[in-house]
Amino acid sequence: MRRNDPVLRAAADTLRARPLLSGGLICAIAGAVVLGLLPPLVLEGLVNDLAAGSPAGRGRVALYVALLVLAGACEAAKESLIIAFGQQVTHRLRSAMCAKLSRLEASYFDRNEPGFLTARLVGDVDTVEVLFTGGVVGLIADACSLVGILAVVFTRSVGLGVLLVVCAPLLFALTRRVQRRTLQAQLRHRQAVARANQHIPDTLQNIRTIRALGKETYMENRYGVFLEESCRAVEETNFCDAVYSPIVVTVSTWLVAVMMVLSARGGAFQSLFGMSVGTAVAVIAYVGKVFEPLESIGMEIQNIQAAAAGIRRIRDFLGEGERTELPAVQEVPGAPAAELRGVDFGYEPDRPVLKGASLAVQTGETVTLAGRTGAGKSTVMKLLLGLYAPRRGRALLNGRDARAVPEGEKRALWGYVEQSFRPVPGTVLDQVTLGDERISPQAARQALELVGLRDTVDALEQGADTPFRPGLFSQGQLQLLSIARAVAAQPRLLLLDEITAHLDAATEETVLHALRCAGKGRTVLSISHRLYRPGEGRLVQLDHGCPET
Amino acid sequence: MSGDPGRLSTYLRREAWTLAAVTVTGILYNVGLAAGPWFEGRLAQTLCDILTGQKERGAMLPLALWYVVVLGAVQGVRFLKRWYVRRFANHINRDMKAALYRDLVRRSPRKLEEESVGALMTKALSDVDVCTEGIRKFTTEVFDTGVVMLSYLALLLALDPRLTLLCCLFPPVAGLAAGRLRRQVARAAAESKESAGRLSQATLDRTSNAMLYRVYGLEGARDRAYEEALTDYERRAVRSGVWENAMQPLYQSISMLGVVFLLWFGGKNVLGTGWQSWDIAAFTTFLSCFTRLAAKAAKAAKLFNSVQKAQVSWARIHPFLRPVEEQTEEVPGPGVLEVENLTFRYPGGEPVFAQVTFTARPGEIVGVTGPVACGKSTLGRLFLGDEPYEGHIRLGGAELSRLPPGTAVYLGHRPELLCATVGENILLGDPGDPMEWLRAVCMDREVAAFPQGVDTPVGSDGAGLSGGQQARLALARTLCHQRPILVLDDPFAAVDQQTEEAILANLRALAGDCVVLLLSHRLRCFPQLDQVLWMEEGAVRTSTHAHLMEDCPAYARLYRAQTGEEARHEAE
Repeated sequence: MRRNDPVLRAAADTLRARPLLSGGLICAIAGAVVLGLLPPLVLEGLVNDLAAGSPAGRGRVALYVALLVLAGACEAAKESLIIAFGQQVTHRLRSAMCAKLSRLEASYFDRNEPGFLTARLVGDVDTVEVLFTGGVVGLIADACSLVGILAVVFTRSVGLGVLLVVCAPLLFALTRRVQRRTLQAQLRHRQAVARANQHIPDTLQNIRTIRALGKETYMENRYGVFLEESCRAVEETNFCDAVYSPIVVTVSTWLVAVMMVLSARGGAFQSLFGMSVGTAVAVIAYVGKVFEPLESIGMEIQNIQAAAAGIRRIRDFLGEGERTELPAVQEVPGAPAAELRGVDFGYEPDRPVLKGASLAVQTGETVTLAGRTGAGKSTVMKLLLGLYAPRRGRALLNGRDARAVPEGEKRALWGYVEQSFRPVPGTVLDQVTLGDERISPQAARQALELVGLRDTVDALEQGADTPFRPGLFSQGQLQLLSIARAVAAQPRLLLLDEITAHLDAATEETVLHALRCAGKGRTVLSISHRLYRPGEGRLVQLDHGCPET
Repeated sequence: MSGDPGRLSTYLRREAWTLAAVTVTGILYNVGLAAGPWFEGRLAQTLCDILTGQKERGAMLPLALWYVVVLGAVQGVRFLKRWYVRRFANHINRDMKAALYRDLVRRSPRKLEEESVGALMTKALSDVDVCTEGIRKFTTEVFDTGVVMLSYLALLLALDPRLTLLCCLFPPVAGLAAGRLRRQVARAAAESKESAGRLSQATLDRTSNAMLYRVYGLEGARDRAYEEALTDYERRAVRSGVWENAMQPLYQSISMLGVVFLLWFGGKNVLGTGWQSWDIAAFTTFLSCFTRLAAKAAKAAKLFNSVQKAQVSWARIHPFLRPVEEQTEEVPGPGVLEVENLTFRYPGGEPVFAQVTFTARPGEIVGVTGPVACGKSTLGRLFLGDEPYEGHIRLGGAELSRLPPGTAVYLGHRPELLCATVGENILLGDPGDPMEWLRAVCMDREVAAFPQGVDTPVGSDGAGLSGGQQARLALARTLCHQRPILVLDDPFAAVDQQTEEAILANLRALAGDCVVLLLSHRLRCFPQLDQVLWMEEGAVRTSTHAHLMEDCPAYARLYRAQTGEEARHEAE
C-alpha cells in the first residue's frame, strides 16, 4: 500500500486524534499477548513436578486459573477497543468520501450511476469496516502473540524455535499465494453479483414489456447465466478458503512430530531441543498457538481480500479529478442576466457540442431555446449553472462567471427545473425547502401557493408535514413541486429544461400556467420541444452548436 | 426444477450427494479431532519413558509417524468437509434465487407495481444470502460443535468419569450466562442495524441527489446531515459489536474454571492417590481435550443464533417460492380487429369513454387523438387485457379477454429498456440482425457511430442514450417482436418532426399485418392514416382525417394550429 493510502491515513489520524483510545488498545493488546503466554509456563512446572512424583502445588493451580481469568478479561477489553477503533477509522473514511462528493467534477456524476457511487460509500467502506473491527487490528495483535510465543519457545527449546523460524516464511508464501487467487475470484464474484442484482430492478421496471412479448424465459435464462457466473466464482474462493486452514494445521503436526522424534534421539539433539516432559507438554501447547494467528489469517482471508478490492476502489474514487474553485467576484451592474460569450464545449474531447455559441438574456426577458435533439440545449443550462467549465469563452450571470457564484448565493440567484422531479427524503415541505434552513415554512407555503399546489397539499393527512412518498402526487403535480422548489428562495432567474417532456398535454397546460405565475418579474430561460407560443418572449434556435435568433 | 419450490427439502434433495459428503466428512473429521489430544498425550508419555529409560529411543519414531499420518488424514477430511459445506450452501443459494426469480418474472405487472410486491421480492432475494449463510453455518456447527463435543466428552468420560462430571459443571454455566444476555445482544444488534439503514438512506440521498444539491448550493448542509447519521451509527455499532464479541473471552474463562479440579484431582490420579490411575499421557490428553471442549462450549450459542437467523429469513422468502405454471397458449396470428360498444369506467365511477366502435383490417394504422385528458392512453392500455371492460374487443373473431397476454403490445412514455446492449434490447434473445430494425427507426447511423456499435451497453434504464434514442430503440424492439395489435402511445414525443415522418413511413412498411393504434396529440402525420378516432368528453367518433377536417371544428382547429404555426415558424 502506498503512503497516501486513504485507509492508512484514516487509521493514522485516529491514532493521533484519540490518544486515550489508541493507548488503551495498545495496552490491552500487550496485556492479552503476555497473559496468553504465561499459563503454559505454569503448566510446564506442574507437569515436571508430577513426572518427578511430587503433587501439584496449590499456589501453582491457583496461579494457573487466575492467569486464565485475567487473560480472558484482557481479551475482552482488547475486542471492545478494537471495535471502537475500527469504527473511528471507518467514520473518518466515510466523512472523507462524503466531503469528496462536493469536490467532484459534474461529469463524474454523468459517467457514474448513483448506484455505483452508493456502492463505494456503503458496500466498499463496509468491507473496510469489517477489516478494521474484526480482521486487521486483531491480526496485528496475533502477530504480537506470534513473536512472543517464538521468544518463549527459544528460551525453552532452541531447536524448535529454529524449526518454526524456517517454516514461517514458507507458510507466509503459501498465504500470499492463496490470497492472490482469492482476490481474483472475489473480484469476479462481485462483478457477477452486481450484474445479477441489476437484473432485478431491470426486470421490475420492464415487466410489462417482458410479459407482453412473452420474454419470461429469456429473462430467466439471462438471470441464470449471471447466477451461474457468480456461483462459479464462489466455488473458486471456496476452494482457497477450504484448503488453507487444513494445510496450516498439518504443518504444525509435522513440526511436533519432528521435534519429538529429534528430542527422543538424545545427545546433541536433546540438548538442542532441551526437552523435559513438562517442556514437551508446554511446547505442544505453544506450537498450537503459533499457528492460531496464521490460521486466523486463513479464516479472515475472505474479509481481507474483499476489503483489498474495496480499498482499491475507494482509493480510485478519492483520486478522481476535482473541479477548480474560482474566487468569488462581484456582479457587474447592467450586464445581461445570463450570457454565453463565444463558448466552445463538449463532454468528450472529440465530440464538440457547442461551437462559438453566444447568447444573451437581458434581465426580465423570457427566452425559449429550440433545436433538434442533441443540439446542446441542456448543455447551455448546465454551463449557466456553473456545473461545467467552457473549453473556450465564458458563461456569465450578471457579468460574473457562472462558476464563481458562492454556494450560499446560488438559491437566491437561480431556480432550475428539470424534466423530472427528484424526490429527497423527508416531508412534502422538505421537497420544497430541500432541508435548507434559510427557507422558512411560510416561504415554502407561499411557493406552493404560487404554483397552485396549496390546496392539494393541505388536503393530505398531515398537510405539508406528510412524509413524502411516491404516489402521493401525479406526474404533473410533481413538476409543480419542482417549480415550487425552484422559486422558494425568490430567485431572479428561472432555468427550465423541458419541464413538460414527460407530461401528457392535460397536465402540461396546468404546469405551463403555474410557470407563467412563477415567471412573473423574473428572467426566464427555457427549453422546449413543444410548439413555441408566440407572444411569450423571444425564440432562439440552437442548431449545429450555435444559437440563431 | 422438480419438486415444490416452497419446501426446503426440495433444495436439500437436489443437493443430496453434497449433503451426504458433508455428513460423512463432518463426522469423520470431528471424531478424528479427538485423535489430536490422544496422540499428544502418548507423545509426551513416550518422551517421559525414554528419558527415564523405560523405553528404547526408537519407540518415538513409529508413534510420531502414526501421529502425522492420522492427523494428516483428519485434516484431509476437514478440507473435504469445508469444501462440500460451502458448495452445498452455494448451490442452494443459486437454486433459491432462480426459483424466486421464476416466480417474480411471471407475476402480474399490476400486482408488482401496486402492491409493492416488487420491493418485497427484491428484499427476499437478499434474504436468500442470509438464509443460505445460516444454513451453511448451521451445517458447519452441527458437526464442528455438536459432534466434536460428543467425541471429546466420550474421551474424557473414558479417562475419568467423576472428574469429567466435576470439570464439566462450568461450561453449562457459561452457556446460561450467554443465554441470559442474548436479549441485550439482540437489541443492540437490531438498533445498530436500524441505524445502518438510516445511514444507507442518507448516503443514497447524498449521492443520487448530488447534482440537485450542488445546483442549489446545499452540499455543505447535506454533508452535515450525513455526518449526524454517521455519528449515530458509530455509537450504536460500537455498542452492538462490544456485546457480540467482547463477551466471548469471558464466557470462555468461565467455561475453563473447571481446570482447578482437573489440575488438583488429575495430579492425584497421576501420583496414584486419586480416583483413577493415570500416567502423564492421560493427564495431558485430559487437559488438552478439556481445553478444547470448554472453548467449543463457549461458542455453542452460535449454533442457535445461526438457526434463528436462517429461520427468520426463510420465513420472508417462503411466500415467494411458488410453483410456476408454464404458459402454453400461442399468441394468435394477425386478424381483423373489431371494437364494438367499448366502454370503460374505473370501479364505481363515470365512464371514461363509452360506446367506442371501429373495425381495422390487418395492416391499417388508426390514429387516436383528442383534447388533453380525453382518455386515449386509457383506451390504449385496455388492449393489454389487464383491466375489465364493457363491450367487445375481438381479434379475428375471438374476444381479447380470452386470448393470452401478449396479443397486443403497448409502447408508452417509458421505453422500458434492459440494462443490456443495443442489440440485446432489440432481439431479446431471438436470432436476427438488429441493424434491420434500427434502420426502420432511423437510428442505424447513430448506432454505427457508437464505439461498440450494436454491442454498446445502453446502461440502466437506457441512461446511456438520449430520450429520443431511447424511444426509437423501444420502437425498434416492438417492431422486431410483432404482435397482432400494436399500441403506440405518443412514441414521438422526444423525436423531432423530420425523424417522425421517416419512422412513420417505415412503420407502414414493417408493421405488415399488424393493426397499429397511434395515440398522439401531434397531428401532422394524421392525413396519412387509415382512420382517425376523435375522443372528446367520453364520446368517441370513428372517422378519417378528411371527414374530421370538414365536420369536427375542434379537430380542424387543432390540426391547423399545429401545421399553421409550424409553417410560420419555418418561415422565420
